[in-house]
Formats: sequence, C-alpha cells, structure tokens
Amino acid sequence: MKKANWLLLVLVLALSMFLAACSGGDDSDTGSDGGSDGGDGEDTEGSGDTEQVLNLMETAEIPTMDVSMATDAVAFQWLGSTMDGLYRLGEEAKPEPAIAEDHEVSEDGINWTFNLREDATWSNGDPVTANDFVYAWQRAVDPDTGSEYGPYMLGGVIDNATEIADGDKPVEELGVEATDDYTLEVTLEKATPYFESMTAFGTFLPLNESFVEEAGEDYALEADTLLSNGPFKFTEWNQSEGWTLEKNEDYWDADNVQLEEINVSVVKETSTGVNLYNNGEVDRASLTAEYVDEYRSSEDYRVIEEPTLFYLKMNQENEILANENARKAIQMIMDRQSMVETILNNGSIAATGDIPKNFTTHPETEEDFRDINGDLVETNKEEAQELWSTAKEELGIDEAEIGYLGGDTETSKNMDAYLKSQLEELEGLTVNVQAVPFQERLDRDTAMDYDLQNSGWGPDYIDPNTFLNMWVTDGANNKTGYSNEEYDALIEEAGDELALEPVERYENFLEAEKILIQDDAVIAPLYQRATAYLWNSSVKDVGVNPMGADFDYKYAYKE
Amino acid sequence: MDNHKPNKDLFVPVDTREDDSEKISRPSLSFWQDSFIRLRKNVGAMIGLVVLILLIVMAAIGPSLNEYDQFEQDLSRAKMPPKIEGMGWLGMDGTLSTVQTNDSLDQAETNALMRFNNDEDYIETTVLNDGSNGEPAEVEAVYDVYAAKDMEEQNFWFGTDGLGRDLFTRAWEGTRISLYIAFLAAAIDMVIGVAYGGISAYYGGRVDNYMQRIIEVLIGVPNLVIVILMILILEPGILSITIALTITGWISMARIVRGQILKLKNQEFVLASRTLGAPDGRILRKHLIPNVLSLIIINTMFTIPSAIFFEAFLSFIGLGLPTPLASLGTLVEDGFQSLQIYPHILFFPALIISLIMIAFNMLADGLRDAFDPKMRE
Amino acid sequence: MARYITQRLVYMVITMFLIATFTFFLMKFLPGTPLSAADRLSEEQQAVVLAKYGLDDPVPVQYFNYMVNLVQGDLGISFQFDNREVTTIILDRIGPSLQIGLQAMIIGTLLGMLLGLVSAIYHNGFLDYGSTFTAVIGQSVPSFVFAGIFQYFVGVKLGWFPVALWGTWEHTVMPTLSLAIFPLAIAARFMRTEMLEVMGSDYITTARAKGVNKFGVVFKHGVRNALIPLITVLGPLAVGLMTGTLVIESIFAVPGIGDQFVKSINTNDFPIIMGTTLFFAFFFIIIVLVIDLLYGIIDPRIRLAEGE
Repeated sequence: MKKANWLLLVLVLALSMFLAACSGGDDSDTGSDGGSDGGDGEDTEGSGDTEQVLNLMETAEIPTMDVSMATDAVAFQWLGSTMDGLYRLGEEAKPEPAIAEDHEVSEDGINWTFNLREDATWSNGDPVTANDFVYAWQRAVDPDTGSEYGPYMLGGVIDNATEIADGDKPVEELGVEATDDYTLEVTLEKATPYFESMTAFGTFLPLNESFVEEAGEDYALEADTLLSNGPFKFTEWNQSEGWTLEKNEDYWDADNVQLEEINVSVVKETSTGVNLYNNGEVDRASLTAEYVDEYRSSEDYRVIEEPTLFYLKMNQENEILANENARKAIQMIMDRQSMVETILNNGSIAATGDIPKNFTTHPETEEDFRDINGDLVETNKEEAQELWSTAKEELGIDEAEIGYLGGDTETSKNMDAYLKSQLEELEGLTVNVQAVPFQERLDRDTAMDYDLQNSGWGPDYIDPNTFLNMWVTDGANNKTGYSNEEYDALIEEAGDELALEPVERYENFLEAEKILIQDDAVIAPLYQRATAYLWNSSVKDVGVNPMGADFDYKYAYKE
Repeated sequence: MDNHKPNKDLFVPVDTREDDSEKISRPSLSFWQDSFIRLRKNVGAMIGLVVLILLIVMAAIGPSLNEYDQFEQDLSRAKMPPKIEGMGWLGMDGTLSTVQTNDSLDQAETNALMRFNNDEDYIETTVLNDGSNGEPAEVEAVYDVYAAKDMEEQNFWFGTDGLGRDLFTRAWEGTRISLYIAFLAAAIDMVIGVAYGGISAYYGGRVDNYMQRIIEVLIGVPNLVIVILMILILEPGILSITIALTITGWISMARIVRGQILKLKNQEFVLASRTLGAPDGRILRKHLIPNVLSLIIINTMFTIPSAIFFEAFLSFIGLGLPTPLASLGTLVEDGFQSLQIYPHILFFPALIISLIMIAFNMLADGLRDAFDPKMRE
Repeated sequence: MARYITQRLVYMVITMFLIATFTFFLMKFLPGTPLSAADRLSEEQQAVVLAKYGLDDPVPVQYFNYMVNLVQGDLGISFQFDNREVTTIILDRIGPSLQIGLQAMIIGTLLGMLLGLVSAIYHNGFLDYGSTFTAVIGQSVPSFVFAGIFQYFVGVKLGWFPVALWGTWEHTVMPTLSLAIFPLAIAARFMRTEMLEVMGSDYITTARAKGVNKFGVVFKHGVRNALIPLITVLGPLAVGLMTGTLVIESIFAVPGIGDQFVKSINTNDFPIIMGTTLFFAFFFIIIVLVIDLLYGIIDPRIRLAEGE
C-alpha cells in the first residue's frame, strides 16, 4: 500500500508540473501584448504617493469619442478631459476661459464675439483656430452626420441650426463665423443668457477639420485617430479593457496640470470595484447601499451630489393617469425619505420639485431655487387615499391596473419593488413592473408606450430652463401628453421677452415649477441623485461639475 | 471405526413433485420492485430523496410558517441578520459585527461605533489588538440589531433583505417557483422528446430520416443563446422562462428515446405483438415506452436541476423574473450584490439551490444504478 | 470517413443558415433602433442614420443583404459603439475568453480526472466520499458564487492574486479557477463511474489474475479505457464554460466576449447580439464536430454504428 500512495504522489506531481508548464506558456503569451498595463499597476501600488498617476474605473466602455456623436456621461467625461471648448467649467461650475480668452455680447444678446487665445494648439501641433469651432458646429447640425445632440443642443440656440438639421438650409448658413483665425462670431436665434455655460458642453467642442476629414470613418476609433487640445491626451485605448490618458504637454495651460497619467478600467460590478479599491489598485470606487453601511465610517468615504433629478413620469394618455387627483395621490403616497435613506443610502436627497437643490440661485437674493419654492410635494398617506377615492369616483372605477417601466440595474430593481408596494397602498391599485434596458426605455418613452416610468434628467446647461423647458406642449422630451397654455406662456416668455431680465425671468421659472408640480401634478418627483464613493484621500482638487464631464481632473494631483 | 459410518436409514429421499423444479424459490419481483429494492439500499440516493422531500414540503408549507408575507416591506427593518431563538451558537443570534483597524485605538473604536450609527446602548466593543505591539489597533464591535430596533419579540429566521422583506418566506416562495419552473420544463421536455424520439424510431425509414435531419440541425444550436434570445422576445415571466428552457431542451430526450426504441423494436416480443395484430399505438405504449421508461426518468432527473441552474443564471445576467417575484435565481442574484456585507441574504437561497442540485444528482445517480440490471446481485 | 465529414459540414452550413435566419427575424421583432431618442432627430437625419445601418430597405432586402455580408464575414456596425464593426469587436474580445476557457478546461478536466481516479481506486472509502462530495458541490453551486468568494477571500483577504482586471497571467488565475470548478466536478464524476465500470470488466480481472498489481492495472488498462467515453462529456463541458464566461467575465472585469454579449443585451445592441450569437453557434458546432470525429477515430465501434 505504501508503494501505491507513492505512485499517486508521483502522479499528482507530474500533473502539477504539467499545469505549471501550461500556465507558464500562457504567461509569456500575454506578457508580450498586455504586459505594460500590469507593470504600471504594480509600480503605482508601491510608490503611489509621489507618482502623479490616477487609477479610475468606469462602469461602461466609451461608446464614442466623436464630439458630434457623443450622448452619454462616459463619452462627455473623457471628451471633457481631453478637450477644451470656448469655456471650461471651473470652481462652483462657473465658466472659466479656456480657448476663448473673453467675449463680448451685443446689447440684444444675439451676437456673441469670442476672442480666442493664440497659444492653444492641437496635439498634432496645429493651432486651435476659430475655424475649428465653425467646422465642429456645422458638422454637428449637418443632417448627414446623424448627430443626436447636435440639433438638440444647437437647435433654437444658434441661428438656423434647426432649419439646417431639417435639411431646409445648407450648413453654411449656420450662425457661426470665423472673422479671422482667432475671432469667432456667433449669431444666436434669440437671446440666450446661459449660452456661456453651454459652450463648455461636449457638443460645442472644436474639431480639427483636416484631421477629421483625413481620418474619415476611422475618426475617433483609436487612440491615434483622436486629437486633443485639452489637459490630457489618449495614449492607449483598448475598447474593452480600458484606456490610458497622459498629460498633454502641448496644452496651453500645461503648467497647471499636475497629473501625469490617468488609467481607466472598465468594471461593472460594485463588489469588484470595492475589492480593487481595498487592494489599492484604484483610487476611487462607487458604492451601493450595502457597501455604504460598511464604509460610512471610513476616512475615504465621500458623497458627491449632482443636480440630477429622478421622478415618475405619468403618461396622461392613460385613462387613470389623465385624472389629476389620481396623479396627486401618486405624488403623495410615496415615502421618499425612507427611500433615500434605506434603498439608495448614498446621500441622495428626497426630491420635492422639478429643480434640484444647489443648482441655480436667484439672480438678486442669491437664494437657492429649491429654498424659494420650498417643498412642492409631501408625503401624506391619508390625503393621498382621499384623493385616490375621489379619482376613482370621477373615473367610475373600483380597481385600477397600471404598468410601471423600471430600470434593469440592481438598485433600480429594489427601487421598483419598493415603489410598487408604495403605490399599491392606494386601495385597488395594481402596479405591473416591467424592467427594461435603458435603451428600450428611451424607445418606449419616445413612442409614449408606458403608463408610469421611472425617469431621470440631468442638466445640459446651468439654468432652470433645462429642467422646465421640456414640459411645454409637444416638447421633444415631454412625452406625457401634458399641455397647459399658462405653463407654455411662462416658459416662452422667459425665453423671449424676459431673456435679458434675469430677475423676472427667474420669477417665471419659479411660477412655472409650481404649476407643473403642485397644480397639474405632471410628474411625481422621487429623489435627487448623489453618489457615494470610496475616494483615496491623497487625491486632491478633482473638480465636480453639474453637467457635461462629471469630474474635472485638470487641477487634480496626488499628495 | 464403525461409529463413523452414518446409518443409511438417516437418508430419506426427498419427496419430489414434478412442478417443484419449476417453482421460483425467491419472491417474484417485477423490474420496478427490483429496482426499488436496489434504490432503497443506496444510501446516497435515499439521502437525496429525503432531502428532496423535505425541500418540497418546505416549499409547500414554508411560506406560511411565520406571520410575514413575501411582499410585505418595511424599510425600518431592512437588512436584519438572521435570528433563531436558541440557535445563537450557529451565529444566528441577530447581531452584526465589524472589525475596524486604525493606527490609533481611539479612532478604531470611534469607527467601530460609527459603523452602527453610534447606537452605543446596543454595541459591545472588544479590543482585539490595542496597537501596542506596533501593528494597527483592531476593535471588534458587535451590534444587537433586534434590540436596537426594539424588535426582540420578532424573529426573522433567515433575516430580511434590503426592503425589509422576510427572507425565510421569500426563500421558500422562491423554491416553490424554481421547482415549478423546473418540473414544468422537465415535463414538457419529456412529452415532446418522447413523442418525437418514439415516432422517429418506431416508424423508421423516411420519417426517421427526415426527423433525424431536423435534430441534427437543431443540435448545433447552442441552447444558452437561444434561451436568452427567447427571453428577450417573450419578456421574463414564469411561463416564458419555462418555454425558453424547453425550446431546445427536448432534443437530448428525443435522441435517447430514439436510440433505445431502435434497439427494442426488432426484438421478439415486439414482433410477436405485431404478428398478433396489435396497432402501432398499442405497441408503442405497451411495449416500447415502458422499456425505455427508466432512461426517461433518469434523463428527466438530470433535466430538473439544470433547469433550476439555468433560471438562476438568467437572473444573474438580468433576464430573470420581474421584481418583486422571488425565485431562487433572483434571490441569489440579489444576495450576491451584498455578499461581503450581508452574507445572509445570499447564504440561504444559495444553500437551498445547492441542496436541490445535490439531492437531484444523488437521486438520479441512484436511479441509474438501480435501473441497471448489471448491478443486480 | 470523408463522406461522413462532408455530410456533417453540410449540416453545419444548414444549421448556421437557420440560426442566422432565426436571429435575424427575432431581432426584427424586438423594439429598438440605433436611434436612441428619435424625437431629437429631424426626419432628414433619421433617414441618414437608418441608411447607415441599412435599415431603410424593406425587411426581405435587409435579410438578403445581411446574409450576403455574413458570407463575407461582415456582421455590420454596432449600435452602441459609433462606427465600430461588429467583427472587430468580436475578434478583439475572443482572446481573453478563449484563454480562460481553455485554461479552465485543461485544469478542470485534469484535476477532475485525478479526483475521479482517486474515488474509484478507494471505492467506498473515505477518499471516495470526500472527492465525490467535492464533485457534487462543484456541480451544484453556481459558479458566480464561487467567483464572489474567491475574489473576496483569495484576492482581498489573502492578496495572492489580482482581484480583477486583465493584463498579466496572474489576472487569469481567479477567473480560470472559478470557471474550472464545473468541468472539474463533471470530469470527476464521470471518471469515477467509468473507472468503476472498467475495473469490473473481465479483462481487468484477467490482468489481476495474471498477477499485475492493482496500480499497474489501473493505469495500464483502466485509465486508458475510461478516457474514451470521457470525450463525450467534453461537448457539454464546453457549453458549460460558455455559460460560465457570461457571468465570470463581468465579475472579474475580463474584457471577453461573454461580458460583451451581456452588455449588448442590456443595451439592445442588435448587431452585436446577432454577431455573438452566430459566433457562439459556430464555435459550438465546431466543438461538436471535432468531438464526434475524435470519438470516431478513437473508438472503432462508433464508425460502424454510423453506417446504420
């Protein structure tokens, strides 16, 4: 028997040798093509304090780096990190000069003249000129480009943008002109007070015409078909794994950029992200509710608030939701406080209006929009039941069944289950939850193929208009069938006659929000999003923006 | 020496009757009785069977064993750890604990308390390492959640989930739904597979040829992908998941049945029956199917756990049952997110799913041995 | 043999054709277009976008074009990644998936065989129960549970291997191990049964009677004969691995094809879903074919049976 055991041992050894040999081979295989990546990671682990290398994660890959085609947060984040527009959002989201040194506005607010700096260059050495903006903006509205954000952002703002997108006018008629290499003349369709902050948005970034045309269809598909004029530039872009940015030495403000390198990996699972953070491989990881419980007391715990609002959209083409009392009952039945404290548990705030907290302030009193208008919805279960009974009487029904379109992420699943149970507290109401991918939700929103929908909206520029404008009759993103002449008039007035009267204009918005939420109960606000992070405390001065690129790494550094 | 010689008178001829030699001395056992005897002797299979019966009974009565409803939410009691009276030694005493490490002892203690909202009345801290040996200080805090929430009267045997739903009730409801999906899928697989395989083999010739060509094409279709595509179209639900699982699931059954029937159909007893004028249907039903039944049962036994597995897998990639319905898959997926912080949410459904799989596999193995005449002693 | 292979190849083409047709029309049933928010686009623009994806033609024409392009290896352009070809995306991601898949297959089957062998040799002994239990657990616990546990304990607590991401060989260790457990369990159980059966055959008894010692018999006669049927489980194993990669890859942030498939489902990126489906199907068919051929070569009995 002894001999038998011995034989077995030999077999095991032989097998493990074989395994080792196999794996050894694999080692050299991957070492050659992906070796540099891993090497970097290990280096920074050892002496992370002094090396100016930031290791980050994204939950999704970059869908596109083409300025005109970008539509989502990931794309805008990395466009913002590699590009400078006319302005850049600085501290407290105030636009600070970037490619534009300054600008003049005509008295009627229509003609804007931007004076560009002469020392800005693209990473291929070409100077950044006024023509780059003209080309980029024309490309964005050109129907042949098929850009989604181009006509959406420029339309109604820049002269003729909508007509060009509809194919009614040639692109050359767009209200933007380079009077010389460093002077950009912009003609607006009407006075737009928030235009300055708009120019910091991704869609308004410049493009180097000769480079883009030369690259053709390959433009923005690889690190070397990309051009940067901002603080960082892409050195490696491996679609699925991640990407690496390096400091752009040719950047006009390179002296103020301290980070040498930013490595981004694509990680979908929160638990994986937290594990990577705990192993010191990344400098920041976002947390879900459970992890907040565990890490709330950690020194690295940080909450970042955003002016992004989540709400229940109610389709008024649905017979039940067409009833105002039914909508008000829905607004009132939901307990938002418990929801943000337990389900989200990440610093999100219960929303009580259509405009988020800490987004804009009154032009005179400097008071926050939310503080002036106060809580427009509150939780009151008894009153909700009463309203609901009235609604049922008016509709002549005892029971009602409505669909609910939710998201498909883990948090939204809990959220959906919670909202279902909250709404079903209304006697005789049955809610059928359908979780669909984000893309499908957008499609069904467009087709108005929903009853209730858990929806979110982040600002495109810093002005209440970005949240309120969408609810006007037949607005492109309205999709609730809501129409109120009074509301439309207030918004239109704010956009036209009052464009240059900041105070009255603001009053209009305040009034409009009351009509929208309190009187007409168009949407049921849920919460204002915040994100909880584990954030390496040695990373300093990362800018946080309310729109466009969520984070600005231009001034960031590691201690 | 004479004493050693036995007396001849001691030997009397046995009274043999003609028919005695034909008599069967052991009790006559049908194939099924025989198999059952062998199954009963198989310890593993019997354990599997008992576990399975227990799980099915729990799935039936479990949800009504306590006062909680599977959908009843209460955020104030969210994420409660499991507590069973008298089972504290198993760790199910309704407390949460954390170990905080910091360079300074005070800070570690503060952090440990902060982890549980500084609810000091219900926190017991123990210093594991005061940091005097040069290593960072470590403080362990144990938090009595039930006492803190003034719920000492209540017991959540498996704890609660992120919405304060009782996991005990949900786990057994989930077991019920998962088993339901699995049994239904297996039954449909069986019916289609047996019919298809039976017809193909029995009629043979051109029919068999065509039917086999179809199978050969279908066998190349990876079921995983087809199931996912079907779910995308049908929208997740109990029935649609079942249907998706059966779309390609019946093929292996059809192949097994066909192979077996091909072997059987030329045997003498079938020929005899046919000669006597038995119609096709009767021959299939009375002679062929019973003889492949053991194979059908074994195959079904393996189909059930794989259906449960598949359901869990679909949940994991976000194509599971719509919320708030519970299946073992959705529960496991839900728990996976908080595996490191609240392991109890994952533990119980994962345990049940594993037990079901183990039980079915052991029982199926046992059945295979039991039905195998070679194993006869 | 040649005739058999040709016949199989013909079936392969038919199967692929059917799958392609099936997925194509399935996708036509699903809601969703590359126009994520169609109302933001003017009609002129919508036409341009639809034309870019070839969606402006009537469905039969689209189908025809798709098939023609497919034959040329062109799977179209992704919806979610602007201007990126599906073929490139798939090719980019095959590497990591194949690597962890193969590693898991090799390690899993070898260790599994070893475990099964030990089981069979010490039949009904302590080691047998131990390894049978391990195998049953391995087969019963979902692989993503293993993955989560591995990641936390081996990666974070022990710090032996990288927690996630991709790059060096070390990064492949944990995904491989999580994935290897399933083939390990299957191989172990199969090996055990086969070995027990083989060890009960007459030729083994003969060999034993001739005085060959127990282990000599096991290795010289037993293992060799038990190995042949093991090939039959390789097919199901490959499928199991394919299923596994879908979840394992996202947990360990491996930039593989399974991960991409799941992401595309969640973003309704139909060209990628169709492309990966076809790729998976192709891969699967090839494996089935290779296994059948191997089996035919190794076991002469099968070749005869094919004649019927």
